[in-house]
Amino acid sequence: MPDADLVLTNGRIYTLDRKRPWASSVAVKSGRIVAVGEADAVADLSGPDTRVVDLGGAMLMPGIVDVHAHLMMGGQAELFELRFAPTSSFETLIARVAEAAAKAPEGSWIIGGQWGSDLLPKLNTLAALAALDKASQGRPVMLRDDTYHNRWINSQALRLAGVSAATPDPEKGSIGRDPASGAPTGMMIESAAGIVESTIARSGHYTEEMDRAAMAQSIATLNSYGVTAFLDAAAMQPILAALKGLDDRGELTAWSVSAMPAVEPSFMFGIAGDELIALRENYRGVHARPDFVKVFLDGVPGARTAAFHEPYTDDPILGCCFRGSTIVTVPDLIRWVGKCEKLGLGVKIHCAGDAAVSQALDAIDVVRSFNGPTKLIHHIAHASYIAPDDIARFAALGVAADLSPFLWYPTSFLEGHKQTMGEARAQRFWPNKDLLEAGALLAGGSDWPVMPNPDPWDGIEGLVTRRNPSGDFKGAALWPEQALDVATALEIFTINSARAIGLADTVGSIEIGKSADFIKLDRNVLDIPADEIAGTKVLTTWFEGRVVYERS
Amino acid sequence: MSGADRPIPVTVLTGFLGSGKTTVLNRLLRRPSLAGAAVIINEFGAIGLDHLLIEASEEQFTLLDNGCVCCTVRGDLVATLKALDQRSRAGEVPELTHVIIETTGLADPAPILHTLMAEPELAGRYVIAGVVTTVDAVNGLMTLDRHAEAAKQVAVADQLLVTKTDLVSAEALSELQRRLKALAPTARQSLAHDGEADFDILDSQHLGAAGDLDRIAAWLEMAEPDCGPDCAHDHAHHNGHAHHGIQSYSFVIDEPVEWAAFARWLDYVAALKGEDLLRLKGLVHVTEQPERPLVLHGVQHVFHPPVRLDAWPSADRRTRLVFIVRDIPRETIARTLTKFAAIDAASIRAPDRTAA
Repeated sequence: MPDADLVLTNGRIYTLDRKRPWASSVAVKSGRIVAVGEADAVADLSGPDTRVVDLGGAMLMPGIVDVHAHLMMGGQAELFELRFAPTSSFETLIARVAEAAAKAPEGSWIIGGQWGSDLLPKLNTLAALAALDKASQGRPVMLRDDTYHNRWINSQALRLAGVSAATPDPEKGSIGRDPASGAPTGMMIESAAGIVESTIARSGHYTEEMDRAAMAQSIATLNSYGVTAFLDAAAMQPILAALKGLDDRGELTAWSVSAMPAVEPSFMFGIAGDELIALRENYRGVHARPDFVKVFLDGVPGARTAAFHEPYTDDPILGCCFRGSTIVTVPDLIRWVGKCEKLGLGVKIHCAGDAAVSQALDAIDVVRSFNGPTKLIHHIAHASYIAPDDIARFAALGVAADLSPFLWYPTSFLEGHKQTMGEARAQRFWPNKDLLEAGALLAGGSDWPVMPNPDPWDGIEGLVTRRNPSGDFKGAALWPEQALDVATALEIFTINSARAIGLADTVGSIEIGKSADFIKLDRNVLDIPADEIAGTKVLTTWFEGRVVYERS
Repeated sequence: MSGADRPIPVTVLTGFLGSGKTTVLNRLLRRPSLAGAAVIINEFGAIGLDHLLIEASEEQFTLLDNGCVCCTVRGDLVATLKALDQRSRAGEVPELTHVIIETTGLADPAPILHTLMAEPELAGRYVIAGVVTTVDAVNGLMTLDRHAEAAKQVAVADQLLVTKTDLVSAEALSELQRRLKALAPTARQSLAHDGEADFDILDSQHLGAAGDLDRIAAWLEMAEPDCGPDCAHDHAHHNGHAHHGIQSYSFVIDEPVEWAAFARWLDYVAALKGEDLLRLKGLVHVTEQPERPLVLHGVQHVFHPPVRLDAWPSADRRTRLVFIVRDIPRETIARTLTKFAAIDAASIRAPDRTAA
């Protein structure tokens, strides 16, 4: 055998290969694993050009696979946007805009965030708008809030977006107005945010170079937490183009699978559905795989927009018996799944409420009954509130449970759910153990930036403890009977997610022939108390045998 | 013709390039019974209605010298049909008695049927009288083998008109007719000699149109296999010629059907397999109204609103379903009927004459 490019020795290598869970050495040639085992397995593979790394007894495992993330936004915010904490005061916000405007070229957009929702009444006035206009010195400004649902923009941005006192409110949104004059205040609520976001998207503000840089930045962030493969769960054209562009340049440092939205999402703009899907082969690369379609079936429990079998708590507007609703009918979902299967695409279905889960399973059941078995794996994303009768259907139908974001422990989200669903029902959140015992494929994801960072160790600890790793909600556990063991949690974030995104032959475990995607950890996560897992630091990340992150 | 609100029957005339549809149309239009018919041709410039059409003018509507209106589709069929109706009501063209839509030789007739079945702006004004497909006796078999469009035109037909029959042997003609029967078992077959059809185009065929008991009885009869209960029900396969995956099969269901569940199954099959469900005709014994069967008629994903008959057309009160499909195995239909339409597997059978 020719000499290896890289040999890692003297490690505690957890392979995630059930046939050989542990090894001490691994050898790599041309980005692929060529040997795994004890020291003797790699002894003959070192030559003069082989780089040999002594792991010094550290734990090494395969790179993390994130089954659900949204990459572009985080990178854009880090690189190109004005950033301030949601706790910033109105004065701070205005001062920061003034600083940015002083540096920005004339006419260029200033985009920033995120202001706290509690500031909304103050910002929604002509006086505040005047202050923003003064600070922005003629440049258009758009500032996002902490929910990502609303925007506050200045008068120049209102002009560019064509919004005036005469502009009617869009459906499912509103334009903030001065009560006396009706003049817009610059506050763009819910779908009105789309008016300004799409104005920016169409203006060419983000160039392809900026998109690639933002994506590379996001991937570098993922690499730093040990992620070497991911599924982008709402890949619009700029994201597909950026991934392909990076891959063509040899700059893509993770395996990427993309889910193209069936309809334009509320938070991203551009072509979607058939039009976007038709372009997918233009964006395929060795590491860029546009192999999924994303369907949003409902909303979120906290906003009473998720679809449930049982009603929400009483609400002054929605009444006593509101259950939420799905935004795609079962026959339409059947049509989508059927069409995607013909095209060889998996479908990731956002289902936040248990009725949405039931309907997604119903639709997949119909497709399976007509079409017979498939190699494709469809995902129920955020498989969290699930009717007991539906648990066994995941395995029966070959559907993956996309476990994201990391909300399987007490959080402020859960507190919101208690308000809308009542305490008892809200707590029956994430029946992970039940799904596991029923044979479902559980795949871990961050839903970054819904989670402020994509650190999988937070999620992995939470799967095991069902307690908030940050120390918030001290003493409280969410449905602790659903806790999993560490080994299972590691599978969920590696080989299981690899299976779910169609890359099980390439990533997810340390086996001969697979991509040399490794992470070296600062602790052996199988040997420490569970509440120390979230503190795990990735020391080195290898992607195809190359170091793509090194902790300084 | 009295009652301006009686829907105007529409016949769709289709057939592959060179199959003789225009000749047939020319002859049909000379029949006195078709005075007052309008002809819509969806391929301007390719009109060959010899002397009947004075010239292809810029006018969308042209009065033919036999009193028929000829028009070309510019824009969409819905607009043309609406305009025709309005002009007729306004007295600008003779009162409409019938509309014939001639498709291009390569056209898939299904979208035209969908327009007529499902377009709300046309609802109540027009009704599908039937689909007439011309097949050339000389080249028909080869065309069916080579062109999926031609096979589909045959599969959705209510009436098949074999043209140029005087140019082939009786043996070749019967082979063609056997193949046509396999593709479209419920379509009536007629022959044309020198372009003269041996049927009346006004003779309403289409099941969704009305609850004509004789017609329904007739197509149920036609759907019965002619080779006994042990016959393979995949006719196309049985005949050794699967035309582009098109095949037909029938089911008899002994037990009454719960309509809500059956309708759900219909939704599912239309959503997932609509494209390949070329035609579904059925007579359904529903639990809720056992004395009044429902007539089903679908073309791909579009279904007529089911028509409820006043009575059963014969003593046989079993549900009967006839499918013309592309690449949908018979077992798939049987399995999904059991699963989603709540029909006991044991009561789903292939038709056999002894049980009738």
